[in-house]
Amino acid sequence: MRVGMPHMGNIYIPFKALFQRLNIDFVIPPVSNQRTLSLGVKYSPEGLCIPFKLTLGNLIEAAELGADTLLMPGGYGICRLGYYAKTQEQILHDLGYNVEMIQVGVSEKKLFGILEMIKHLSNNAPWSKIISAFRFGLTKLNALDKVERVVQKVRARERIKGTANHLFAKAVKAIDRADDYDTLKKVQTEYIDQLNQVAKFTQAQPLLVGIIGEFYVVLEPFSNLDIENELGKLGVEVRRRLFISEWTKFSLFLNPLGVNETDRIHKAALPYLKRDIGGDGWESVGEKVLHAKEYDGLVHLAPFTCMPEIIAQNIMPKTKEVIPVLTILCDEQLAKPGTLTRLEAFVDLLERKRRSKDRQQRVLV
Amino acid sequence: MEAYMGIDVGSVTTKFAVLDNHDELITNLYLPTQGKPITMVQQGLKQIQQQLPTDVEIRGVATTGSARYLAGVIVGADLVKNEITSHAVAALLYSPEVQTIIEIGGQDSKLIIVRDGVVTDFGMNTVCAAGTGSFLDHQALRLNMSIEEFSRRALDNQNPVRIAGRCTVFAESDMIHKQQMGHRIEDILYGLCQALVRNYLNNVGLGKEIKPPIVFQGGVAFNQAIVKALQEELDREVVVPPHHEVMGAIGAALLVQEHIANNHGESEFKGFGVSEVEYHTSSFECQACPNLCEIAQLSLNGQVLARWGGRCDLWERSPSR
Repeated sequence: MRVGMPHMGNIYIPFKALFQRLNIDFVIPPVSNQRTLSLGVKYSPEGLCIPFKLTLGNLIEAAELGADTLLMPGGYGICRLGYYAKTQEQILHDLGYNVEMIQVGVSEKKLFGILEMIKHLSNNAPWSKIISAFRFGLTKLNALDKVERVVQKVRARERIKGTANHLFAKAVKAIDRADDYDTLKKVQTEYIDQLNQVAKFTQAQPLLVGIIGEFYVVLEPFSNLDIENELGKLGVEVRRRLFISEWTKFSLFLNPLGVNETDRIHKAALPYLKRDIGGDGWESVGEKVLHAKEYDGLVHLAPFTCMPEIIAQNIMPKTKEVIPVLTILCDEQLAKPGTLTRLEAFVDLLERKRRSKDRQQRVLV
Repeated sequence: MEAYMGIDVGSVTTKFAVLDNHDELITNLYLPTQGKPITMVQQGLKQIQQQLPTDVEIRGVATTGSARYLAGVIVGADLVKNEITSHAVAALLYSPEVQTIIEIGGQDSKLIIVRDGVVTDFGMNTVCAAGTGSFLDHQALRLNMSIEEFSRRALDNQNPVRIAGRCTVFAESDMIHKQQMGHRIEDILYGLCQALVRNYLNNVGLGKEIKPPIVFQGGVAFNQAIVKALQEELDREVVVPPHHEVMGAIGAALLVQEHIANNHGESEFKGFGVSEVEYHTSSFECQACPNLCEIAQLSLNGQVLARWGGRCDLWERSPSR
């Protein structure tokens, strides 16, 4: 049995560690690229969203490398992504790939859905072994996300553009290679230190932009033209709530404060949207309300044809909490020049707004 | 006399504007790009030099428009700015009270919302070219008339025909259909203007609050029939400012003036001599990853001046934004 799964950012790294410890043969398809997208687009129904097309491309590329067991999240309660595993399985069979598709029930069972899947794949390994491997994978995931949070800060301030990215790429490799907790801890501290020591501009506080929207397009840089990096190059600090490690914390009830961040967001959205509408639509509205005071602006990422995010997009301009929002619809047609023009204009807008606010305050003083 | 130059290289036209340090327009130029941005920038520089009084000293240059990076490298721009900001800044110079800016160019159209002199929101057409200048040009060409005649005859309508304007392809077939039915050409032309305006407002203007004063700039503002259709649809006065066709360039000139003042810098402008130099463009396919990006490069005497076009920053070498 050879296991394959789609990409989403660096999620393959924790899974690789986890599967290695359980002696599961795991094949990693090439990170999402133009070929992945072309394959996905070619074999997908046109009206489906970019997450479907890219993950299908990944699965085909995994099957090409000999994977016979494919993992894909699914289940009810998400959005139509819940049906994607089934549809993709059908497409793969039609293409002649003899693969078994395992639908991982992340929506209703959260992390326990993943644990069940691992139990099955490991040929019924004892729970103690599974939990131990799982813990190690989780530690890698947390390390990756911790380093990335520092990268988001450094990108906006670094004197030589690209330094943080360079370090991040090295850190990702080192975390991937780390084989025990001590090395992992060491690598994490080492790279965070290096990032903190990067020469930075310190005169002005950079603009702060929050990234909100649909889980996959926020977390898969290929699907959004690596928008965080582009914002970083424009000198903007990016923040986002969506990190896979945040999701696992929530699913494991490991939130240290005992108050669920998601609950707080839903509460903020309540005056404008009273229920879950699938996907991350409810959260998008809630985050806009919550961050209106704290951030300079928001970039809202949504897959083209995504119903929940379209609803959110139309509710957002009507909230009484006001903050500039730039919605970017991600699909295979998304092109860099047009997106950059919009981003540049958006950053100019935020900068000029901040300057005029500063001027007004000075006048008041 | 100190002066600042803005160059707006759009898909269809290339615009130049030179402003003195009291924001007065000294001279301007409007040329067709004809798919040759480098040549047109060089030709424009030559013409601008002839139009300028001899005592003018260029203290800063900014480029804008879809070929802003390319043009920026060629002239040695101090600032490369997107066209949305440039248009907004220029509109605010002539009408400080403006709250809505409509800009329709050759290939794209924008709607910029301004409150208290600051841009608060903007929209830009995404998927479709319906409602832009190129489509109007194309239809005028098909009917064998100049765009001036198009505008004049459209205003002569009696009973405008309703044209499906959702999409240029449907709009064109609908127009042909109405022609074959025997409708007056004037009525069809004005019907098309109305369709484009409706499409623009439904597409770019979706969810935006259009408040007066409304300013209409860009090349399409030459077309009086579109202006009239906009006014009717919005039920408001729409002002077409003087120099509306070079507003992007004026905005760029204003922005570079501010930029030079803030940085107390010397201009990087390479001088009007660049119009004589021969630039070389080429492209290649990057083999570093399966993305196989097309990288374009601009060189002078065998030396690469700039590269762009990749998904990542591997080959990126371009003037700072």
